[in-house]
Amino acid sequence: MLVFVLLGVSVLIFAILMTFSPERRAMTYVETPQQVKDIPQIIKQHGLDDPAHVQYFRWLKQISTGNWGWSFVAADTVWNAFWRYLPITLELNLFTTPLIIIIGIWLGTQAGIHKDTWLDHLTRIFAIIGWSLPTFLFALIMLMLFYGYFPLFPPGIIGDKVQMFILENPDKFHSYTGMYTIDGLLNGRLDITLDALRHLAMPVFTQVVVVVALLMRVMRSSMIEEISKEYVITARAKGADNKTIYFRHARKNALIPVVTVAGWLVAFSMEGSVSVEIIFNRRGIGWWLAQSAIALDIPVLMGMCLFFGLVYVVTNLVIDILYAAIDPRIRLT
Amino acid sequence: MPKLIETRDLVTNFYTYEGVVKALNKVGLVIERGTTFGLVGESGCGKSVTARSMMRVVQEPGRIEGGQVLFYPGEDGQEAVELLSQSEAYMQSLRGDQISMIFQEPNAALNPIMTIGDQVAESFLFHRKKEMCAKVLEDLKTADLPWPGLKKLLEFFYRRAAADPGDRLCCWASRTPILKRWQQRLFREARRRSVEIIAALDIANADQVVDRYPHNLSGGMKQRILIAMALACEPLLLIADEATSNLDVTIQAQILDLLRKLKKKSISSILLITHDLGVVAETCDRVGVMYAGSVCEVARVGELFRNPLHPYTRALLDAVPKFSVSGQLKSVEGNVPNLVDPPSGCRFHPRCPLRRKICAQRLPELALAGPDHLVACHLAGGRSGSAQVWGGR
Ligand SMILES: Nc1ncnc2c1ncn2[C@@H]1O[C@H](COP(=O)(O)OP(=O)(O)O)[C@@H](O)[C@H]1O
Ligand code: SF4
Ligand SMILES: [Mg+2]
Repeated sequence: MLVFVLLGVSVLIFAILMTFSPERRAMTYVETPQQVKDIPQIIKQHGLDDPAHVQYFRWLKQISTGNWGWSFVAADTVWNAFWRYLPITLELNLFTTPLIIIIGIWLGTQAGIHKDTWLDHLTRIFAIIGWSLPTFLFALIMLMLFYGYFPLFPPGIIGDKVQMFILENPDKFHSYTGMYTIDGLLNGRLDITLDALRHLAMPVFTQVVVVVALLMRVMRSSMIEEISKEYVITARAKGADNKTIYFRHARKNALIPVVTVAGWLVAFSMEGSVSVEIIFNRRGIGWWLAQSAIALDIPVLMGMCLFFGLVYVVTNLVIDILYAAIDPRIRLT
Repeated sequence: MPKLIETRDLVTNFYTYEGVVKALNKVGLVIERGTTFGLVGESGCGKSVTARSMMRVVQEPGRIEGGQVLFYPGEDGQEAVELLSQSEAYMQSLRGDQISMIFQEPNAALNPIMTIGDQVAESFLFHRKKEMCAKVLEDLKTADLPWPGLKKLLEFFYRRAAADPGDRLCCWASRTPILKRWQQRLFREARRRSVEIIAALDIANADQVVDRYPHNLSGGMKQRILIAMALACEPLLLIADEATSNLDVTIQAQILDLLRKLKKKSISSILLITHDLGVVAETCDRVGVMYAGSVCEVARVGELFRNPLHPYTRALLDAVPKFSVSGQLKSVEGNVPNLVDPPSGCRFHPRCPLRRKICAQRLPELALAGPDHLVACHLAGGRSGSAQVWGGR
């Protein structure tokens, strides 16, 4: 299943790739201005004017052996650069994902229970701000407030002093995961973890506010719908108190439609960190992708399409498993 | 017969976007101990709302605006508790214990993602916790446990819970990981009781059914489960809100049979809401007829069928599907009135063949028109032998 979906994604990506002329694609092999006149030769050498299916299988073979091409934006192979940038994005999402899910579901539940009270209105305002304000604008405001006026949370990934220390003492700090918050702990350097967290606070906050809005609203309406169902009256007629009704009966039912939305939002958040990464100067996947898009670094764009395809496929798999865990009416086949 | 529950001038409104739906217009009913009371009327006349108002489980956007619901828990029917002025906590202790309800839609009335056992067990856990904790405590005396400290701890919790089911320490422990496992024996006891009550309702393999989910069961089975839930704590009043309307005829007969048997066994009274007059004739002792949010006529079953006094009751009885010579079916003429803007005076007057001037001006009160026969009609109120007004049936 997973493999078939990925193959489908790869065909699509390849089809997009083939809309470029052979000359255009040959440009990605050009590294110096002198080489430009060799383009016909490059086309022949790499078989860029072969029939499409021949090229597709050749490309697939390259991709599956880890040869994803050369990224001139990263000045490295796409494969290496990918593993260099991934931890930065992963670290951001490591913090945002649980926060988005917990806050979204909790606030949504409360807003649904206390419909049309001040709490509901407050979360509504919060959701409108989060959802309608463009991410980059919100991120800029945050940066202006908490770095410009109150220099509490600097942009970047890690402070200069820590950076210097790591560069000067490569033997004292081993990079296990590429995520400073975790590596700091693994190396027993709590100060490094704390410094990394200080740099993470604003991007995490921005990302959570932007993404949580939708999840919260979906949870709220789902909760309101469940509370009005017959089985809630049955529970009430049995003598159930509100707490039992809301948290034992309604919430679990309300979660069923929310699981899908939560999954998609988390997947979206993986790639949706582009503006956050640019504005807070965190050079992760999103930043790299944006730079590559501007510079038309085709191998990067292709590789990232495949990567996000994988992210969505895995997300869907997780959603299906969660569904089966919550809802006994669904059985995994 | 002593009274069990009584409503007086019950008024319930729904605040919808279209306007205020005046669903109940001073409903007055008396249900006696140990009897089956039938409540009939066209769909939308407020039968369900009456029942839900009695239990105070009216759904949003409904609100009970006035009147009284008097509950007589004592055998003699003397001391009354006014339910509308009680606290929500009191109502919670009453619902499912003294008064319980089964619903029209067995498919919608069960939580789809909770096992049958857990749903039935809730009834016991809400109302029989004290008793069950005492039972577990008793069993613990002879139980073999891996180490004595555990036994001490369990006994400590169960003793506290048996003394006071809402004990703070026990509640706290129930929310704490690992510690909350002290309740396991309580849950096992609740489950044992659930299996017992389900088995008592003629369900085969009760010990397997408790682990199933609602979607695994047929409609009739689900309705039995709902009855099991309602009867778990042996209530004084069972409200069956069209409990058989959505089942096919044979299952319907089985369920009604079951209700009749259960009523004989325990003394509980039943409020049977239905629009099937055949069911009423077979099952009920007394009947109330409702129209557009008011009660028009209340009488013993035989009396009502023999001598209907209210024009609406007569129309309803004529509408019962039966073949006349020409093979035609009659139905009540006209439309059910809009309850946002109900007709003035007697709500039936736009459809009533016998209306007088006064009918549109004054609401007729429910008044005695014969022995144990109440009618709300200006032409019948308080006059004996008023049946002659229209000639005998
Ligand atoms: N949730 C609701 N919202 C608005 N109006 C309602 C609601 N429930 C019931 N009503 C109104 O109350 C009236 C009586 O409904 P109900 O008691 O369910 O009728 P029935 O006699 O068929 O059980 C209906 O006319 C309907 O308009
Ligand atoms: S009060 Fe008047 S309108 Fe109402 S049922 Fe009696 S005769 Fe008909
Ligand atoms: Mg109804």
